[in-house]
Parts: sequence; structure tokens; C-alpha cells
Amino acid sequence: MFKPFFYSAFFLLLLSATSCSKPEALQEEDLDERLSGGSQTVFDAGSGAYSHPFPNLSDRGNFNHGVGDISFEATFVTAPAPIHSGLGPIFNNVSCASCHIADGRGRPPLNPSELLSSMLVRISIPGENPHGGPNPAPGFGGQLQQRGVFGKPAEADVVITYTNTQGNFSDGTSYTLRKPTISLENPYIPLPSGHLLSGRVAPPVFGMGLLEAIDEMTILGLSDEFDANGDGISGRPNMVWDAVHGKKTIGRFGWKAGNPSVLQQTAGAYNEDMGITSFVFPTESSFGQTQFDGLFDDYELADSILFATTFYTQTLAVPARRNTDDPKVKKGKQLFKEANCSGCHTPMVRTGTNIAFPEASNQIIFPYTDLLLHDMGPELADNRPEFLANGQEWRTSPLWGIGLTELVNGHSNYLHDGRARNLLEAILWHGGEGEKSREYVKKLSQADREALIAFLKSI
Amino acid sequence: MKNADLSLLTLATGLLFAGCNKGDETNNLTPTSEIITSLSSNVIVATYDDLASKAYQLELSLETLKANPTTSNLENARQLWKETRSAWEQSEGFLFGPVSSEDIDPGIDTWPVNFLELDSLLASSTTITPQYLAGLTQDALRGFHPLEYILWGQNGNKLASELTEKEMEYMVALGAYIRDRTSHLSSRWDINNSNSFRHEFEKAGNGSSAYSTRKDAMLEVVSAMQGICEEVADGKIEEPFFAQDPSLEESPFSGNSIADFTNNMRSIENMYVGKYASDGKGIQDFVKNYNLSLDAEITQKIAAAIAALQNITVPFGEAILTQPQQVANAQTAIRNLNESLEKLTPLIQQRVTD
Repeated sequence: MFKPFFYSAFFLLLLSATSCSKPEALQEEDLDERLSGGSQTVFDAGSGAYSHPFPNLSDRGNFNHGVGDISFEATFVTAPAPIHSGLGPIFNNVSCASCHIADGRGRPPLNPSELLSSMLVRISIPGENPHGGPNPAPGFGGQLQQRGVFGKPAEADVVITYTNTQGNFSDGTSYTLRKPTISLENPYIPLPSGHLLSGRVAPPVFGMGLLEAIDEMTILGLSDEFDANGDGISGRPNMVWDAVHGKKTIGRFGWKAGNPSVLQQTAGAYNEDMGITSFVFPTESSFGQTQFDGLFDDYELADSILFATTFYTQTLAVPARRNTDDPKVKKGKQLFKEANCSGCHTPMVRTGTNIAFPEASNQIIFPYTDLLLHDMGPELADNRPEFLANGQEWRTSPLWGIGLTELVNGHSNYLHDGRARNLLEAILWHGGEGEKSREYVKKLSQADREALIAFLKSI
Repeated sequence: MKNADLSLLTLATGLLFAGCNKGDETNNLTPTSEIITSLSSNVIVATYDDLASKAYQLELSLETLKANPTTSNLENARQLWKETRSAWEQSEGFLFGPVSSEDIDPGIDTWPVNFLELDSLLASSTTITPQYLAGLTQDALRGFHPLEYILWGQNGNKLASELTEKEMEYMVALGAYIRDRTSHLSSRWDINNSNSFRHEFEKAGNGSSAYSTRKDAMLEVVSAMQGICEEVADGKIEEPFFAQDPSLEESPFSGNSIADFTNNMRSIENMYVGKYASDGKGIQDFVKNYNLSLDAEITQKIAAAIAALQNITVPFGEAILTQPQQVANAQTAIRNLNESLEKLTPLIQQRVTD
């Protein structure tokens, strides 16, 4: 009986405190910080945490989400087949879900004998394509397909080797970072000289509808291209080719924000990763190469399926934060701010108003990203440009749900190519605009480092 | 019907029991830790061990069939395929941990079968070995369903004499691959393995890096139970039923789909009562601590879901066309079960504090 009384007293206190202060914009502290996805938050800290639909979808929305769920898991097979036809002829994987396992994060191979499964390699040559995007490598395109359907040669085998470098925290504790080198073996034709490679693990796919709902003006408002505030951070948006509308627009998705919308991201994945053509990208990735099937059965994917799969990822809910009252986590949260991690990993964003998609409209969300490009220094660079993003720039990755990676996906590999083997290593790879924050973290005591990681694991 | 009577009886005794026991209710609550440990050893590990041992016998039976392709050897291989399949489908009520994070599930249980690739593979000069299958990433070319295709044939009436050399080479490789994956799965839950997921699960709330609280582990279990319910109702049944297309069926060649679905329901039941081979504590013991009517409801709905599936009297691929009412009833019964299972989530949120 004591507790309710305590709460009500506290509540009264709150009321009296608010009644004599001026109304202001909502502060982060005024909100339930567990609600990472606003109204679209799910309270599940289990293996299925990334796989829930928005909790308040309409019946129709739930039905469409269900259809998309099925198509997300559908295994495509070689044409001609009665269902899910059109795989390949060259491809990275056979279904969306085989890379985005449990709607989560992919990883590089654990050992040299393991084949790439939830990771792929982008390829290009210096220069730009007509839309300002990466310049496709002749005979290989913009993405390396390391698999072929039966009887068709894959483009090449991917081998990743690592070199270790040592470093020390200020307290003397040493750490080891591993830097990957990607090499291509047994290419089906000689590789063009000067080709650029970039490894990309499959990113988690939940919450994308909310990120898409952030207003362009909000993103532009977060940018500070010329570092006017002098904090050493100068985020800028990528401007990319919108293939659906045929114009340049802000990029939001992908490791370098090279994609403007979930629809284009989805259609691109169907086309490049699986060899499935759609109305957005009707040309086979193998077109003009010896593997091309010459079937002219394009496009292979019904618009309704493309829209359903798109809607599925747009309406995957965000898992709630955990252990927010844990003193260690609270301490870590404070350190996250003090190290200015929040300078790019913007904790709180409000989505734009959109009456066509009320579930994602006007939500206060905690994605921990500004969706902007930042120069992360030469160590993390892939030196492969993508529209405005140069070889050292990366989009700030959303951190929501990151603490559940180990449980959901059974690994703790982070960053674009999975080089970091845990969250602390991921922080230590931050150079360029992230260098100040990294140095701050390197000076922390063991206990403080643990607190910072505990905070990240609570997100 | 027997089951329903039983649950009424349980309900009656339960009420009686609750009636005389109100005073010391808090003293005989089953601790959550005990339930988690029992689920781990009596259900999850027991199922995975049985699966691995059945898969080993299946592999041997395929070797025998290859050496001597007789009708009875084919029959024996088919029988063991069904038994292995039964253990596997009974593990689908807890698709969390290594089975999902290490991609074992799609690796051995992907359908529909890719005929074109299967036929190209069978027509090729490639030597099909387990290593070759492990190196593939077309899951549709390995696991239970290509094996089913070879053992039964596309129309389910294959004769032992029709098995080609190449098919038998493929079949033996498939058997070895399934055995390898299932024994790997069982070793990932092996108590003697230092990095066993079993420790992560059983140490929930006590130093586990996967589950920081026991509540999380309990929620993991019930969301997996709900997950397979949804999968059966909205995926395995809905897809072929909605499209009226038998080619979308899970186990079309063996006519085993209804058994698959039933075993999925049994998997839920196993987790609920805490029993695979030997009996222990299950989710039911937690529910009984707080809500006897919910326990009766879930018990009754599991029985109803299984009964509704048993009412379908022809193979599922036919039933979607000829027994739509029975199929719809089964789907409804499974959805009803899921609605009751969903009530477990708030109960755990509220009640698991230890």
C-alpha cells in the first residue's frame, strides 16, 4: 500500500513543478525512453525481437504485413518454376530472410572455409554512372554475385583475410583490432584494373518505415556540412538517384545512404542479391554477361509482392530499451553524451506528419542516427564512392535494437563489413569525425567503459 | 473428447485445490528457475537429442537402401524420414538460440523443392557429397524436402526399382548432411560444451549474456510457442489454402503435412507441460501459480487444435481442395490457441520477478 501513495505524491510534485514553468518543447527526459519506436515499440527482448509488426496496425495492414512476411521468407528458385521463379542466374542468396536472419544483422564468415552468406561485396571502377552513382565494373556490375545457378559460373569467389593491429587504452589495457582485406579468386573473366571493393553485411531491417517517415527538413536540420558549431562534426545528407520517381533526392538507407526509399532498397536487393527483376529494376544484374539467361521473362516479380515485402519491412516494430533504470546503464548513457557519440547518433527524432501512413506519422522515436554522412577517417574507409559519399564517408548507423544482436543473430560483429567483433571494437574504429569521441572513450576507466557498453546493450 | 473431459476434471480439482489452499498460496509457487531448467533438459535437449539420434538412424537406413534397393529397405527409410521429421517438427515450438541464429532451420527445412535445380543436379556429373551440400547456399537443394522428393517421387508412388544411382548418391549425401546439422544442433545445447547455449538459457537472470532476466527467458519461450502457432495457421496452412495450390504444401510427396502440423502443436504442448520423454516442470506450472482458468483454457485449446487437424482425413494437398471446411476449422482452432497463448505474455511481464 505504500507504493501507490508514493507515486501519487511524486505525481503531485511533478504537477506542481510543471505548473510554474513555461511550456517548452518536449525534452528527451520527458519521455518514456524505453519507447524506441514511439507507438510502434514492442516489448520483446527475445530472439523474435526484430520480427514483430507495428503493434497498432489496422486489420488490413496486418494482412499485408503477413503477406510481406511470407514473401520475405520465400525461397526463390531457378526459372521456369510455378512459384518464386527467377533466381539468378547469378546471385548472393535465395531469399530476403537468408541474409536478414530473423530480420537482423548479417556477419562475415567465421573462418576462411565458410562461404559468404549474410554479407556481400560491392564492386565498381573509378568514376560515376550517369546518375552520379558508383561506376559499374565491366562484366561485374555494381555488386559481386559470388554464386550462380546450376551450370552458370559465379562472378568470383570472395576471400577475406585479416591483419591485426594492437592498441592501448589510457589505463594500459591493450586491445586488438582486425582489419579485413577482401580478395577475389577465380573470377569468371579477368577483373578490370583499379576495381574498388566494399564488403557489406546485411543490416537489420526493422524500424525502416519510421526512418523513412522522418521529414527531409528534419534531416537537413540535423546536417552541419561546414561545421558551423565547431564540434568537429560536419554531417551532410547524401543525394541519390530515386529510380522510382526519376529524380535526385535524399538518401537514407544502406551503409552509405545510397538508397532513398524502402521500396527502392527492396527492389534493389531483389535485383542484385537474388537476380529477381521488378518494375523498379527490370534489367537482370547479369545482363550483357555470359551468365545472362536470355529468357526475357522480365520482370519476374509481381508488383504486389514487391509492395508487400516493402510494406513488411516498413512496418516491423522496434524493440523497447531494456534495463533503463540500471545505475550502470544510466551512467553509460551520460558517458554516451559526454563523449559526444550523440553528436551523430542522434537519440531522439520526431517523424513527419503523414496522413497516408498514420502508424509512422508524428512519432517520437529513438533511432540514434542522424541519417547523415560523416567522414570516419582512413582506417574505416572503403575508398569506394557512392553518389555524394566519398571513400571515407559512412552513414551514421541506427543503434536501436543493437543490444539484442547477440541473442537474435548469435554474433556480435558490427560495422559495414563486420570487422568489429564487439561493441567496444566498433567504437575504436571511429576515426575522422568520430575521433574525438573515440579518444574520449579510450581515456575512460574500465568501469566506465563497461557502463558505456551496458548502455549500448540496453538500446 | 477424452482430453476435454480430462481438462474439466483438472479444472474441477484445480478449483477445489485452490479453494483449500488460498492461505499459503505463495509457499508452493514453482520457482521460475526450476521451470527454465526443466524446459531446457526435459524438453529442448531431449527433443534435440532424439532428433540427432533419429537422423543418425535415417542416415544408416539410406546407406542400406543404397546398398540394396529393395521395397522393404525403401519402406524403412521412409519410416525413419517420418520419425526424424516428427522430432524436428516437435522442436519447432522453440525456434530460438542456435537453431535460428546459426541458420540450421532453413538449412534442413526449406520448401518448396527446386525441381529444376534438383533435376539439373541429378543430371550433372558433379559428385554429390555432404561437403558439396554444405557448400551450397541454395537451402532448397538440401535437407528434408529434396530427400522426401527422392524417397517418394513427385507423385508419392516411387518404386525402389526406380531409384537411379545418382539419386541414391544424392540421397546418402542428404542423409549425412541432415545428421551433421542435427548433431551440431544437439551439441550446441550439450551441457559439456563450454560455449553451449544451454548455459546461456539456464543461467537466465544469473550471469547469462543472452537473457539478463528470467523474465526474458520465459518471454522467449512463450513467444516461440506463439511463433509456431502463427507459422502453422498463417503460413503453412494459409498459403496453399488461400492460393488453392497444393504445390505450396510443406511435405507434399510423403503426404506428411498434417503430421508436421500436428507435431508443431505437440511441440507447443511439450513446452507447456514440460515433457518430451520424461516429465518435468513446464510453462503450465507457472500458469497454475496464478491463473487456473487460463491453464484450463490453454490445455483445452491445444487438444482442440490437435483434434481439428486429425479431422482432416486426406493428405493436406488434397484437403485444401476437397475438405475446405475441415482445413478452415483447423486453422481457426490453431488461431484460437494462439489467442490464449498471447495471454501468457502479460502474465509473465507481471508475475516473473524472481
